[in-house]
Amino acid sequence: MSHNRLGAVVEGTFADGLTVRLDPGTTTEQLRIGDFVVVEGAHNRYFSLVSDIHLKAADPRLLADPPRDASAFVTRAMAGTSTYATVQVRPMLMLEKVDEFDPRALLGQQGGPQPVRTIPMHFAELRTADELDFSTVFGHEGGVNFAMGAPLTMEIPICLNLERFVERSNGIFGQSGTGKSFLARLVISGVIKSKAAVNLIFDMHDEYSFDKQTEDKRWVKGLRQVFGPQVLIYSLDEQVGRRAGRNVDVTLKVGLNQIEEPDIMLLTEELNLRQTAEASIGLLRDAFHEHWLLKLLEMTPEELEGFCTSSGAHPAALGSLQRNLKRLQRQEYIVSEASFSALDDMVEALDRGKHVILQFGRFNAVLDYLLVANLVTRRVRQRYEDKMRRYEETKAVADKPRPLMITIEEAHKFLNPAVARQTTFGTIAREMRKYNVTLLVIDQRPSGIDPEVMSQLGTRVSGKLTEERDIDSVLTGVSNRGALRGALESLDTRQQILVMGHAVPMPITVRTRPYDEAFYAAMGGHARPHGTDSDVRDLFGEE
Amino acid sequence: MSRIGEIVETMSTGFVAESFELNQPPALGSLILVQSGSIHLYAVVTYGRTAGLDPSRHAVRQGTDMVSDAAIYREHPELEHTLRTEFGAALVGLAVDRVIRQHLPAQPPPLHYSVQTAPADEVRRFTDQLQYLRLLLQTRGEVPSLQVLAANLREVFQQRGEDHDWLDRAAREVATLLKGDHEALLTVLYAIDPGEQTGGARP
Repeated sequence: MSHNRLGAVVEGTFADGLTVRLDPGTTTEQLRIGDFVVVEGAHNRYFSLVSDIHLKAADPRLLADPPRDASAFVTRAMAGTSTYATVQVRPMLMLEKVDEFDPRALLGQQGGPQPVRTIPMHFAELRTADELDFSTVFGHEGGVNFAMGAPLTMEIPICLNLERFVERSNGIFGQSGTGKSFLARLVISGVIKSKAAVNLIFDMHDEYSFDKQTEDKRWVKGLRQVFGPQVLIYSLDEQVGRRAGRNVDVTLKVGLNQIEEPDIMLLTEELNLRQTAEASIGLLRDAFHEHWLLKLLEMTPEELEGFCTSSGAHPAALGSLQRNLKRLQRQEYIVSEASFSALDDMVEALDRGKHVILQFGRFNAVLDYLLVANLVTRRVRQRYEDKMRRYEETKAVADKPRPLMITIEEAHKFLNPAVARQTTFGTIAREMRKYNVTLLVIDQRPSGIDPEVMSQLGTRVSGKLTEERDIDSVLTGVSNRGALRGALESLDTRQQILVMGHAVPMPITVRTRPYDEAFYAAMGGHARPHGTDSDVRDLFGEE
Repeated sequence: MSRIGEIVETMSTGFVAESFELNQPPALGSLILVQSGSIHLYAVVTYGRTAGLDPSRHAVRQGTDMVSDAAIYREHPELEHTLRTEFGAALVGLAVDRVIRQHLPAQPPPLHYSVQTAPADEVRRFTDQLQYLRLLLQTRGEVPSLQVLAANLREVFQQRGEDHDWLDRAAREVATLLKGDHEALLTVLYAIDPGEQTGGARP
């Protein structure tokens, strides 16, 4: 019997997990829903999660008439005997035991834990997981294993396998105030450090590049300051670059010629477009090709009428479309005509291993964000598709595009069921893994995201969620939802997350590692916060 | 070890003994010993009774206004010969070569053998194991088995020098045995709770 024994298996089914009766000395307060525990079978060790805790009484009459004035002696005697607790435990992984005394040797021999295929017999011992168990399952830090934090009760790293992480689209969720953007910084830092993928970050609220004050009034560094010239800053807002210490590498302009029909359709709500807009744009496009938007905006009322007569468009619909789209023209970052070279250069920079943060500066309205992010991503996607085709032709390793991870916030705006089929992000979430492009979706209302997209997410990292629909949504397509639901609800608001999916062997509740000086140092923090002009010249030539 | 009585009726589950001292049977629930050859038999006192020698005749009142209680026995020395005190005991275990087993012996103790009190170290050695409580719980007699059980736990608790750890352990064992009947359990637990009763209830 080990010193950290909790109880013995008394019942169970493969489908519903095991029932463990807690030993008299074990209180239910020692255990939390979602805790990582180990069941020692005769031949296998089962790494499991606590999914539920029950209080029971051997004699049901006791429940009807609990002793009211019982002394400590009486309660002590009854605890664990007449009154007792059981826990529901769900085995997630198992490891065959060969040598009881040297599980490390065993691990080398077998290549780690396997999916669960059996359950243990009666009275198998349940115990708390120790450090060896954690490292057996979650691996050691280093290489592609990035430490996300530590278990709630121990100081050992819980690692995310970043190579697996970037293979699929992923999500970071949590109510507001649960530190989603810090979590994202943490993960992105890991990806940058391990070179598992390059990043393109749509930074709606200017949170990722430079230092930012946290809710507890601490200043934390941005990615540019931690990783220096490996991170390029693109901005829509020229003024951002003028602020001291905030060096912007490229100021991005969007040409009306670059805006396409799907971009406009995504803005239906923001621009207050009518249902006829799609048909009108179709007619315009037939006539003017990529210059349709510019032409439309330049049309005088007479020209408009003429176009309607020649093409059969509805004058009132077209007029209203023109009025609504004029709003676009008024945005400072929009010019009549722009070449794709800036975006193509960006893709090349990504391909050279640089990471790009696109800042929105003052233009952080939903309209700007939706338009620019979708437009940029579409171009990037096209380029990646081209690259991938080329690689498939040549099969040369040098031609293989680097895996790209695109980070979007407020993801439900791009991925809600109404638009997910039209936006580039929807396409990427559903199928772009084959072009080496994946998403990192950040959202506080996962229920707003298309369930089909949610079910495609490989790894989900979630802070506390309380809204029923959000929890359901985060757990879409995950097995053993009961345990995870409990775990999600019982997380602390700060610094506690649940990680599940492709990049971790089994779901686990983690205390996130702090984003502080020690972290910057671990990431090989750059002393040089800015002064990367030379790099930019190297990359883009003289501008 | 002191002799306290002689077996006058015996069977596989226990025996009845006549006490050497009138009105002084061993304490209810206390552990007693019978030595049968090399085997020590352990038993727990399940009742005590004092009555007339002739079962067909009831004892009659002897006291007067002037003479009562102990003085009656001084006034009537013949009472020592017409009354007798007996006690019953349930067998709970045996020791062969000092190895203790808590189950019924193969043979009941021989009639007319002596009954002895168990010394404190014997009590301690025997009660380190608690399986004997199961046998005790199944006794049928004048005193309800729950009360015998409680009396035994109180006695042993005292004889072990108010060993609270042991009492906690024993109480949990009782709780396990009586888990299906919580009223019975509470009856025992309330009766042995050392917080409410200091010292075993002696006659």
